[in-house]
Amino acid sequence: MKNLLSLGGLSSLPRSLSLAPIVLALAVAFVPAAAQAQPMLRTAPDWTRSLVTVEITFNAHDAFQPWNNPTVSTRKHGLVVAPGDVLTTAQYLPTHTLVRLQKGGRGRWYDARVKWWDAQTNLALLTTEAPDFWSGLKPAELMTTVPAGPEFNLVRWREGNLESRRADFSRFIVSEGALGFAPQMIMEVSTDIGGRLGWAEIVERDGRVAGLTTYGTSRLCGAMPASFIRRVLTAYRAGGFAGLGHFDFTWQPGSNPGLVTDLGLSGAPRGAVVNKPGKAKGEAGLQAGDILLEIGGFAIDSEGDYLDPDYGHLQLENLATRAHFSGEKLPMKILRADKEMTLDYVIPEANFEKETVPREVFYAPPAYVVAGGLIFQPLSQAFLRGWGDDWRKNAPFRLQYYQYAEPPDGRKSLVVLSGVLPDDINLGYQDALMLVVDKVNGQTVATLTDLTGALAAPKDGVHRFEFMKGRGLQRLILDAATLDAATKRVVEHYGIPAATRL
Amino acid sequence: MQNSKGVLAGTDNLGRRFVRVVLSGLPMALLLGGIGSAALRAEAFVAERAVVQILTSSQVPVYDAPWRFQPVQRSSGTGFVIEGGRILTNAHVIAWAKQILVRRYQDPRLLPARLVFAGHDCDLALLELIDPTELAEVKPLEFGELPEVRSTVVTAGYPAGGDQMSFTRGVVSRIEVQPYAHPGNRALLAVQTDAAINPGNSGGPVIQDDKVVGVAFQGMPGLQNAGFFIPPEVIQHFLDDIKDGRYDGFPMAGVTFYDLQNSAYRRLLGLPDDGRGARVDALRANGPAERVLKPDDVLLEANGYVVGSDGLVLYKGNRVTVAVVFQELQAGQVLRLKVWRDGGPLEVDLPLEAYDGDRLNGRQYDEPPRYFIHGGLVFTSLSANYLDSASDGGRGGVRDELAQLAFELHHLPVESPAAARTEPVVLSSVLPHPVNADFGVRGQALVNRINGVRITCLEDVKRALLEHKGERHRFEFWGPKYGPLDALDRAAATAANADILRTYGIVSSERL
Repeated sequence: MKNLLSLGGLSSLPRSLSLAPIVLALAVAFVPAAAQAQPMLRTAPDWTRSLVTVEITFNAHDAFQPWNNPTVSTRKHGLVVAPGDVLTTAQYLPTHTLVRLQKGGRGRWYDARVKWWDAQTNLALLTTEAPDFWSGLKPAELMTTVPAGPEFNLVRWREGNLESRRADFSRFIVSEGALGFAPQMIMEVSTDIGGRLGWAEIVERDGRVAGLTTYGTSRLCGAMPASFIRRVLTAYRAGGFAGLGHFDFTWQPGSNPGLVTDLGLSGAPRGAVVNKPGKAKGEAGLQAGDILLEIGGFAIDSEGDYLDPDYGHLQLENLATRAHFSGEKLPMKILRADKEMTLDYVIPEANFEKETVPREVFYAPPAYVVAGGLIFQPLSQAFLRGWGDDWRKNAPFRLQYYQYAEPPDGRKSLVVLSGVLPDDINLGYQDALMLVVDKVNGQTVATLTDLTGALAAPKDGVHRFEFMKGRGLQRLILDAATLDAATKRVVEHYGIPAATRL
Repeated sequence: MQNSKGVLAGTDNLGRRFVRVVLSGLPMALLLGGIGSAALRAEAFVAERAVVQILTSSQVPVYDAPWRFQPVQRSSGTGFVIEGGRILTNAHVIAWAKQILVRRYQDPRLLPARLVFAGHDCDLALLELIDPTELAEVKPLEFGELPEVRSTVVTAGYPAGGDQMSFTRGVVSRIEVQPYAHPGNRALLAVQTDAAINPGNSGGPVIQDDKVVGVAFQGMPGLQNAGFFIPPEVIQHFLDDIKDGRYDGFPMAGVTFYDLQNSAYRRLLGLPDDGRGARVDALRANGPAERVLKPDDVLLEANGYVVGSDGLVLYKGNRVTVAVVFQELQAGQVLRLKVWRDGGPLEVDLPLEAYDGDRLNGRQYDEPPRYFIHGGLVFTSLSANYLDSASDGGRGGVRDELAQLAFELHHLPVESPAAARTEPVVLSSVLPHPVNADFGVRGQALVNRINGVRITCLEDVKRALLEHKGERHRFEFWGPKYGPLDALDRAAATAANADILRTYGIVSSERL
């Protein structure tokens, strides 16, 4: 914004600070001894009959030209889990344009259909109508409970051959899903198989699947445990899958005896301290300063962990998804103002659309509005990732910070002026970039629909755009009488398929 | 000393946007190519006796351990004798100096000097020798006018690559308002030249027709043959400012102008498309401009300078942002503005004021950071200097808590002036001791409330802790409403103070 002149200390921009993602703290699992004592059975399962290859062609998000639909293809693994069902991770599937399956690591590709995908679980079911595909294949068995190692095998297709290599159990952790933000328990294993991992390779033992990988480096990868997958698939098939939930409050360990005593706890420190309540109010709502003593019947220790009967000490976040889906009640025993009490916490749905700056916007083609050459888009993390792998460092700090602090007026979403396609109508505004819209023609704008609605009501022959108070440009004006003609001209001139996609 | 990498004045204190180009290792002939013309010899002859080398030993505080200082750094720059027997140089040459020594031309002695005035906003400083008679025989350099673009200038100084005085020659490339790297949040008039300006040149005179037309001060990464010097207008402003024995600094009106080139916008405001006038886009809360200007006022003239729709004025033959007109005046003087408001012209007087409300926002010098330590908890001011040290200059990316600090420091005062704190306080670290071993927040956290008191400055921290009568201190971090909670036993913390200070070798529990 080189022409923004400042005489009052308003123009000096701070260094662009990049933000780290909110990652749930990790809890190392200490697994009961009984689970470790299982005998190792060496068999030679024929994974060629269950593990298949999935090819996905999908639309990538072009942050700066959202009308573009660049397509990218990638391959990963799928696992036959039932007749007609190939299970894989949901990664890359949300914007798929073509999905194909291949068995045996070579030969014919079969057109496939996505039966179901879910971002928060990071799971998807594929199928194909081609009977040939299914001949010779058989469903794999998913473990009911995943033992804590010590040894597994990591199995994948590589250049037409099945490759299997030992994978050592590392730990169980609780983390956000690879695609969503609902908490999940993840099994980390280390292996020397090489190459990048996380393409839904299987982790198996004794012919049974322990997990599907969701992320990894060449030596360490995380796998979604089969026990979790089984529970989700069972619910889905029974028509009872309501989506994963999450805890919408934030908490801290109750490990400072001074603090928990001050909050009314007697005896040794236990429980986690709520420091920011969630959205629920009243009887079901938590308050800052509450001490979480039990969740779903599990005692919470002063580190914020509970003792899982199958997987040892895990972070309390896992209780949001361990045995419940969103919308279900989860009893919580808390200490508030020196008194123990129980409340029924209703697990909120983990849903990108409820975020002020949604992490993903892949449920529909990227939305935008081009008006007189000004390009407007919803502010999302998907948009911010347009700055590349180093987006946390390079994307405009102020736009990123909306992820951490909601707008003071409480609006539920934001629209950003992401660029200007030069035209006579917008002359003088070429440098007006990356500004969050406050109002258009006096109407508050939280969505592109708000924006198009406001553009129907110009005043004094002009459209008045006002931006959020801050260090950037505060407002600009476009001629109302010529706006539609200018938009048409811009769209044709710059080869944009349509001026608006909501 | 000049040959040792990283100790040259001008290399240590420069900001992110402007970093001096280091050419150490290049042959001298290449650095000084072009020297030798008769004209150059004549100009240099006049200048060289007044040009001095300044050798500084400086100590910069550790902002996240504010009672400590970094190791002593030695650096060198240039200065020159002006009227009154004083030496003018860059503020960044002497910033944080513990000792200043001056070496005169062809004099082996090192002469102790002291700082008289520093204008960190304009990167200028005035020194005097402890024994001023040492300069009695030196003819001071006189100042000339703003040089013309394309005219030739000569620099004199002690840059890297050798021990003796070095001269370079170049043309004036352009004249504009440029960000000054030393303060980090100020932009003033500056002249660009292709004369080589290297580390160690800082503070040296730029000469034309035997007169000083600038003080060499900064370079720009990525540009070749581009050095910058401070023009006479800024130098004279500094010298005039200190005449009353105090440095006020350049006035800051608190107004942001934007181009007014869009015909619809001009029509709305009732202005013809005649290329005149810049629009008031934003006004700083409680700034002097806010009292006389309104958003969407259009500035047509400033002290007689006609303002273009690009926000520039014709200033001594150069198209420069209108800021330059505001900067000509001293704090306390009045600027006459012709503005367009409500469809007609209007003349208003804008009294200008010095402004340091954004001092924490820019880089600070010479005043060590304020702090208060209690129970091993180290509280200090949130500042750009602090953020730089806490985030390693932002190189490694920034974590959540630092993002919040950056927002609080740089954005909140502009976006919500009423919610901004005078001096945001950060818990920079916790000095481990049994009394605070269970304290969960270990540093880099904005202090929101202590014992229910909203913290707006370090004095609030001290009061909230020392006046509290309860059994424990309760801390609330981050904010504005919620954030991590913590507690500290009151009596134990007080009792541990002396032990903690002794253990960590801290002389005083506060610098307030």
